[in-house]
Amino acid sequence: MASGSRAALALGRGNGACGYKPPSQGPATAPEAAPPPAAFPSRLCCRGRSGAAMRGQHRCVPRACAAGGQDGGSHGAELLGRRLGAAVPSSGVSDRHADVPVLISEDTVISQPAKILNFLRKQRYNADYELSAKQGADTLAYIALLEEKLLPALLHTFWVEAENYCSVTKPWFASRIPFPLSLYLPGKMSREALNRILLTRGGPPLYSLTEVEAQIYRDAKECLNLLSKRLGTSQFFFGNTPTTLDAFVFGFLAPVYKVCFPRVQLQEHLKQLTNLCRFCDDILTCYFKLTITGHSPSGQDTADANLQKLTQLVNKESNLIEKMDDNLRKSPQHPPRKITTLKLAAGGEESSPLNRLSP
Amino acid sequence: MSLSLTPRSTRSRQQVPALELHSAEPWPENAALYQQLKEDQILLSDNAASLAVQAFLQMCNLPVRVVCRANAEYMSPSGKVPFIHVGNQVVSELGPIVQFVKAKGHSLSDGLDEVQKAEMKAYMELVNNMLLTAELYLQWCDDVTVEEITHPRYGSPYPWPLNRILSYQKQWEIRRKMKAIGWAGKSLEQVLEDVDQCCQALSQRLGTQPYFFNKQPTELDALVFGHLFTILTTQLITDELSEKVKNYGNLTAFCRRIEQQYFEGHDKDGSAAASARSAKRSLLR
Repeated sequence: MASGSRAALALGRGNGACGYKPPSQGPATAPEAAPPPAAFPSRLCCRGRSGAAMRGQHRCVPRACAAGGQDGGSHGAELLGRRLGAAVPSSGVSDRHADVPVLISEDTVISQPAKILNFLRKQRYNADYELSAKQGADTLAYIALLEEKLLPALLHTFWVEAENYCSVTKPWFASRIPFPLSLYLPGKMSREALNRILLTRGGPPLYSLTEVEAQIYRDAKECLNLLSKRLGTSQFFFGNTPTTLDAFVFGFLAPVYKVCFPRVQLQEHLKQLTNLCRFCDDILTCYFKLTITGHSPSGQDTADANLQKLTQLVNKESNLIEKMDDNLRKSPQHPPRKITTLKLAAGGEESSPLNRLSP
Repeated sequence: MSLSLTPRSTRSRQQVPALELHSAEPWPENAALYQQLKEDQILLSDNAASLAVQAFLQMCNLPVRVVCRANAEYMSPSGKVPFIHVGNQVVSELGPIVQFVKAKGHSLSDGLDEVQKAEMKAYMELVNNMLLTAELYLQWCDDVTVEEITHPRYGSPYPWPLNRILSYQKQWEIRRKMKAIGWAGKSLEQVLEDVDQCCQALSQRLGTQPYFFNKQPTELDALVFGHLFTILTTQLITDELSEKVKNYGNLTAFCRRIEQQYFEGHDKDGSAAASARSAKRSLLR
């Protein structure tokens, strides 16, 4: 179950200025000789879940709906990625992968959020360098709390609650899955969610689905209260810089907060916890804003400046190319040259958007 | 109100209002904790849970005697061991037992502030999520262990063919649950890796303190003790699981400290000390 999948996606995008340091004595990362953070030549495939989420943000009024995932993890993954400067655009739909989210980097395919996070960490994108050992342990503990207490209610809201499923989740996912799988896969995901809820939480003394539902929503509300108490008034869970835990919490909370469901008891409870709402809004505005070109900036000034520089360079190159074209047309005996991808001396993280801009 | 004759479903509905009704009653002397047979039947995960509850009750200074029954699992209101029988109440599993004891006026975590309580609950979920699931995986999904240890032990009080039927039924149930949460595809090395990660987190959280929160033990200490002590003292096919825990010196020191303080000092309460001593002997037949 991809419970940290949003967290892994988030790890792929980032502002580059947050949390990444060249490994001096960092934990656990491979001690290779370090090139600067190279372009992250990967695509993050979000079929169904986050792909639908990206499309979904145009449906949900008034603000960008950043979710749709089965279990909230994929969004946190995307967030962490964005934070750390790895250029990971979230592409829409891919047919090839049954398990989302999926990170495709050159030839490697990684499919679970925990593995995606490990992979990113090995590529030296790590948001947790500044954390002490105890804070790292707290991260694991809170992620376990989210998976045990909040995840069943999230699954229920998305996939088991009949009105929500029929009016929002199923059309949403079915629109992003090609026919004929769109007739079968949403139903399968719904059955798997119900199965998981009943197997993990449905034993005696709870004997009917309504009792199980009441219990899981009670647990989820208690979990939200605990998170709110832990967050308090600070901006992120461990000070002023976001970490893996922030990504995971965001990944779980954002769907509940933003998706417009007909039955919204968990959302109403969440909206009473103003610090958690503020936390989600902050992260959404910083890391998930879309510009006019469709390229999502990482939200910090360095990325904007880089983008400006890149645009100017590209404009210059395209002027040169036009001149070359004119020259070639005037001399008909030479066949027109194919224009290969532009090479730039710019830094690594621009090469991925650059590839999209080049012919 | 006698609960023993009512069917299970109404018993669960009556249990909640009965808690308030009986919360004024003091803890009786004849409270009993039920678990499976110590020497022959009980498995790693159940032993860990039972030891955790015993440690918790010892920390609260509440006397309880341990009763071993072959059908303890079926007597329990939730199907899980251990359960305690206090007066007219039957409560199973550590979470509800902690709440029940709190309703009686005894609590270990009252001195914690809100953030610390959140942390404590998070760490308890970490132990349940990783350590308990790893124990269940090892017992029921690792073929060698299942064949040599689990099947013989689980059905040992019953005659053939009932012993085989019951253990296959339980194995099927646990494997279904593992598949639903995504652990069925894991290899043993990955599971041991998870155990190591969990122990590392616990070790880092504990640091050099005597207990996880300040100088007083809480239910988290009881739970961690139950699991780690059982892992350290249970002999399985290989020692890999206990080696993972032994890598962290402060955790082994923690277990020893709690054992000395709460289980060896209460010799008059022979049952608790006896169960701890017998846990030291191997569970492998």
